[in-house]
Amino acid sequence: MKKVIVACGSGVATSQTVASKVKKILEENKIKADVSAVDIKSLDKYVKTSDVYISITKNTKEFNIPTLNGIAFLTGMGIEEETKKLLDLLK
Amino acid sequence: MGFIESIFDYILGLGAEVFVPGLMIAIGLIVGMKFREAFNAGIILGVAFIGMNLVIGFMLDALTPAAQDLAEMTGIDLTAVDGGWTTAATLSWAWPYAFLMFPIQLIINGIMLFFNWTKTLNVDLWNVWGKIFTAVAITGVTGNLYIALVGASVIVVVELLLSDLNQPSIEKVTGIPGVTVSHGMNILTVTLMPIDWVLRRFKFFNKKMDANALREKIGVFAENNVMGFIIGILLGFAAGYSIADALILAMQAAAALTLFPMIAKLFMEALSPLSEAINEFMKKRFKGREMYIGLDWPILAGSSEVWVAIILTVPFTLLLAFILPGNAVLPFAGILNIGLAVPALIVTSGNLLRMMVLSISATPVFLYVSTYFTDIITDLARTTNAVALEEGQRLTWSTVEYPVFRFILTELGSFTLIGIGMVVAWILLFLFYRQQMTKRNEEFKAEVEEVA
Repeated sequence: MKKVIVACGSGVATSQTVASKVKKILEENKIKADVSAVDIKSLDKYVKTSDVYISITKNTKEFNIPTLNGIAFLTGMGIEEETKKLLDLLK
Repeated sequence: MGFIESIFDYILGLGAEVFVPGLMIAIGLIVGMKFREAFNAGIILGVAFIGMNLVIGFMLDALTPAAQDLAEMTGIDLTAVDGGWTTAATLSWAWPYAFLMFPIQLIINGIMLFFNWTKTLNVDLWNVWGKIFTAVAITGVTGNLYIALVGASVIVVVELLLSDLNQPSIEKVTGIPGVTVSHGMNILTVTLMPIDWVLRRFKFFNKKMDANALREKIGVFAENNVMGFIIGILLGFAAGYSIADALILAMQAAAALTLFPMIAKLFMEALSPLSEAINEFMKKRFKGREMYIGLDWPILAGSSEVWVAIILTVPFTLLLAFILPGNAVLPFAGILNIGLAVPALIVTSGNLLRMMVLSISATPVFLYVSTYFTDIITDLARTTNAVALEEGQRLTWSTVEYPVFRFILTELGSFTLIGIGMVVAWILLFLFYRQQMTKRNEEFKAEVEEVA
């Protein structure tokens, strides 16, 4: 199963909000994936074992896995585009 | 009345882990959630309470004896154990009137948008808990629920006004248009601005530092397990433990710090369907309007300056906790002072050196306010039955966000002269802040136009 991570300042609130939303979208599209909220302070550790990273910050670093724009899921602006990208990555 | 009161007492007596989920399921059904969803979310909320209770209990059992030994040996009394913001949030959600804060925030935000008093729609419903916490603190000091709700409402208004003023700065950091940070922690910017204004006059404090490189080097210390281990072992040695006992304490401390966020995210998991339903409702009401969307602070978490400032402040926090007379707080789960670094980032426009000066000079204020709030936080744990405390155990939150304004509100709530004096001073500071930020925002605008 593919693994999706969402990171925020402590892996508690914002990241979990996005993770819950993404989980719901995946369920509706009948795609199975493991979505989890993680702590941005330990991001390097998590990226190694994940397939997609949903970011809610401006990235200062390049990662070797596809990175999506998490703000879209938070605000709803541009959410269709990001959803499509996510679904394509997980198919 | 007696009958209704006794039903109310009975329900409250069941403890937060039963009472709050029950309330949550009821509210979920009222706002149109499916029964299956509401029921599921409610039970997760109960699990979150029980999980936090376990970890807080574990932390207190590990740290309190060490703090007591330290007090006996050295006379330094740091027995108010810092459970961090996750503990404060748990206790806030356990407050019987907590859910009242949702309609209060929504109504105030709606009115202010309607009359164009703000451009921000705060969709960050998780941080309603910060206003609940403020209300709890005011009730603890004044004993008056109505004053507490008024105080919390003031926070809602101030947050929105600051969200508007800070929006261009936040857009500059995040690169996302139309988004701002509506977290209450930014209320501290008002108090920090005059210090920064003075520092800015000196050439030395305008030097640039490479925060990215520094973050690569010291970032590992911000990881919960590492930070927990280090504080645990330092405390063990300070308390005169043997190496073996200090190592055990260090590992227990690492476990507590690692587990806190893992459990706390269950709260968010439970609350997120509800907050989504409310957000949809609000967005529909104000569709087609030019608005800033108010979000939680982590959209700024990509900024290396924030993390470097937070980590470099840690040793100062520990040192100050030891040497400041009258401080009772043992900094632990809340030691990473996000609520200080983020406002400092905004005020200084990301100048690391000035962020450090602001962070270190404000740390004593955090410790003293945290000491002052210890009894209130401990009492809340007892009265809500959210956390089982043993005799002699005391809980606090070392990095109470916007400590100055919270302290002022508790004083004002008791109508003391100090309170009235401080609120006048604060309003003047706010006007200064507004003037400074308006000027800065115009400069940003000019820059953008120049590029265009």
